[in-house]
Amino acid sequence: MITRLEVDGVPALCAPADGPMHAGLVFRVGTADETVPVRGITRLIEHLVADVPGSTGPEHTYFHTRGTPTEIAAFLSGVCTALRNPPAERIAAARQRMTSVRDRDPLPMWRYGARSHGVASYPEWALSGLTDDQVRDWITRWFTRANAALWVAGDDLPEGLALDLPDGVRQPAPTAVTVLPATPAWFAGSDGTAAWDTVVRRDAGAAVFATVLERRLQHELRDRAGVAETARTEYEPRADGTARILALAEAAAGRSDGTLGGLVDVLAALRAGRIDADEVGTVVKHTSEGLRDAECRGARLPGQAFNLLAGRAVQTLDEALAEVRAVTAEDVAAVAAAGYDAGLLMTPGTGGADWAGYTAAPTMSEAVLDGRTHRGRGDRNLRLISGAQGISVVEGDVVGTVRYDACAAVLAWPDGARQLIGEDAVMARVEPTLYRDAEQVVHDVDQWIPARLRIDMPPRDRDRIPQPRPAAEIPEAEVDSRRPLITLLIAGMATLFVVAGGLGVLTMMLTQGPTEAGLFGGLGEYGLVASASILFGIFAGRIAVDAAAELRRQQADRIDRNP
Amino acid sequence: MLRAMLLDPSAAYPKVAVLRTALDAGDWPACRETLDNAEPVERTCLTAVAAETEGIAEFLRGVLSGDPSDGTAGALLGRHLAASTTTAFSAAERVLVDAAARSPLDPAIWTVRLRTARGLRLGPSEARRRYDRLAEIDANHVPGQSQYLRYLCGHDPAEAYEFARSAAAAAPPGSFSPVLIAEYHLDRYLARRDHFDDETVRAEVAEAAARSAGHPDFRHTHGWVRVTSTFAMAYALIGDQPAAAGYFEALGELDSAQPWDRLGDPATVIGRYRKRATGGEQ
Repeated sequence: MITRLEVDGVPALCAPADGPMHAGLVFRVGTADETVPVRGITRLIEHLVADVPGSTGPEHTYFHTRGTPTEIAAFLSGVCTALRNPPAERIAAARQRMTSVRDRDPLPMWRYGARSHGVASYPEWALSGLTDDQVRDWITRWFTRANAALWVAGDDLPEGLALDLPDGVRQPAPTAVTVLPATPAWFAGSDGTAAWDTVVRRDAGAAVFATVLERRLQHELRDRAGVAETARTEYEPRADGTARILALAEAAAGRSDGTLGGLVDVLAALRAGRIDADEVGTVVKHTSEGLRDAECRGARLPGQAFNLLAGRAVQTLDEALAEVRAVTAEDVAAVAAAGYDAGLLMTPGTGGADWAGYTAAPTMSEAVLDGRTHRGRGDRNLRLISGAQGISVVEGDVVGTVRYDACAAVLAWPDGARQLIGEDAVMARVEPTLYRDAEQVVHDVDQWIPARLRIDMPPRDRDRIPQPRPAAEIPEAEVDSRRPLITLLIAGMATLFVVAGGLGVLTMMLTQGPTEAGLFGGLGEYGLVASASILFGIFAGRIAVDAAAELRRQQADRIDRNP
Repeated sequence: MLRAMLLDPSAAYPKVAVLRTALDAGDWPACRETLDNAEPVERTCLTAVAAETEGIAEFLRGVLSGDPSDGTAGALLGRHLAASTTTAFSAAERVLVDAAARSPLDPAIWTVRLRTARGLRLGPSEARRRYDRLAEIDANHVPGQSQYLRYLCGHDPAEAYEFARSAAAAAPPGSFSPVLIAEYHLDRYLARRDHFDDETVRAEVAEAAARSAGHPDFRHTHGWVRVTSTFAMAYALIGDQPAAAGYFEALGELDSAQPWDRLGDPATVIGRYRKRATGGEQ
């Protein structure tokens, strides 16, 4: 039974749970609230104000701990004190502690560009340059009393708990505006991983669909066809009343095409309504068991605290169970059909998915802006156009245009190179060495672009600065017109990626009981049932093996340094 | 003067004419009756033949919009659209993705999807996945096996050879599937004209023929003309005129344009080789 309370003006939820007391303080802020020029600031603050890191997801950042009431009160009160007086001298240390590179999920960028949820796909370029003032301003706006909620899994609030937070306002859900002109859409990802995501109405049917999809993918791709090593889905409810469903399949060696084909077929079968009532019944049963289990452990509380922040009703266990039990095969089919139409497919390699009825997501700009043209040095295919509206880079048929009034960020290198990132995620790169009189363009860009969009990058090694090629080296028609400007950013960045969002890590922590292998086996089952609990998005299992993780780290490092 | 060869499948299989008449009349229930009552291999072959009827796309789209779950219409439309351009294969595949989603146990659909996998240049793991789905339904579905073999021949001849051998070995005596061995060797012959000089190759063709068109249990069900014609062609190219003549005789006046069309205009080519095999008697 969840009790609603209040601590120092912060709404709180309290419910008894098995085991030692645990509690968390959540703020309605996450990567979707950031912009590319401050990407990483929320996570920096998370590391700055607590020794034990919390979690920063797309929409929520929380601090969580387990222990005696005294320890919990001390921890959470300490977080609030640190937020009131951020220890500036510890910023460097915090930055140090958070150096672990996280895999970025490229799909949000393709759906939303370089804004809102799309920002999470970008590297934390700005991290090293974030100032004291920026950190304070960010805290003032987001880490406030009005924008926080508390949960306590225990019989009562811990004695002596004080949440002395600055005043502020409750922040609305981030506004997600798609940049995809048509769906279902596809883009080419990195070799070996097929992925698909969609955005649908947030409800129990959508959560059950996500689990049905996972089971179907595991059956068809892994067990039946043997084309994929693993397949899983995530259900990520959002504060705006929608939910994102993500499916990921790691292809077995050399089986990328089969993985894509299998994924396409599974999605088509579900859209066609081939959903068995027994299958839905099984998922509903396991979801219900998971909900009861989560209730015992206090694992439903975080999601309910998120609900408080979103202005949604707190749901009792019985209400949640009733909602899940009411889900029929028809409901799941309706979600599948709506989800299919809004779908975004990441193909595992270079091939596309037009053949399967998916439209290619835009990879470059349609229009070249007016302005002064700077020809490439020794390369007639190359043109740089600088005008009052923005910059266009043209290489053969490939056009990258970033308008100054729709520019999300500019990367600036000491050697003069500038990379403009449009709100639509298209990039235009000004390399002074490659164009005639390009210094003038660098000057234009620096004049037009406000300081808040600028990210100063570390100096580049000499061999990283491109040099014009002698004309003789350039064969005719060398330009690959399919080379997309939008993918330059993510090339190699997402071999495998993990959405470290929502309450994933916490959920695993809270639900780690004896790992009896259930129908879906070990941790996977906990992930599965929790993901279907309509409460929070979760990451249902570690997919990284060490070698792959190291490879990704190297790739991500390379991208971070040399985007 | 050559005797009139009967290349059109309707000459061997009366249901072809029935189906064409129903299609021409826009009578879908009659089309379904013919196709639904056919055996699986016969149904897939009928689908392929009927799909060559001109101007049926609109009619079939109409049928599908009335009943999206009609897998038979999906297979027929998909096969009809799967012509020779990438755009056409894409258009076909979009119909077939939905058809396979709604009728996952229809071997005709998976057979056409093996054809589109080749036309769309999808990777080997996807072609294999499609073939496995077909084999789950019918392990000896020779029209689909032929499609998959053609895919493999274009990709990896060694794998094509393995597939032809294992599929032929798995089929019961007197069945169609050993023809895959002949198809494989004919494909190799077209790549290298001295392919049949190899004694082992000739022995493999002979063994396959003995287990198929030359076997007492070989039945004249739908597809038999093409299988017999394929062995006739293999022997004709090997230069074993008596053996070729035997199969031409078994065919009587019937013939199949495939696989002869790979040598040129089938009527001309068949006429020439028939004459050569039978010493100009016909």
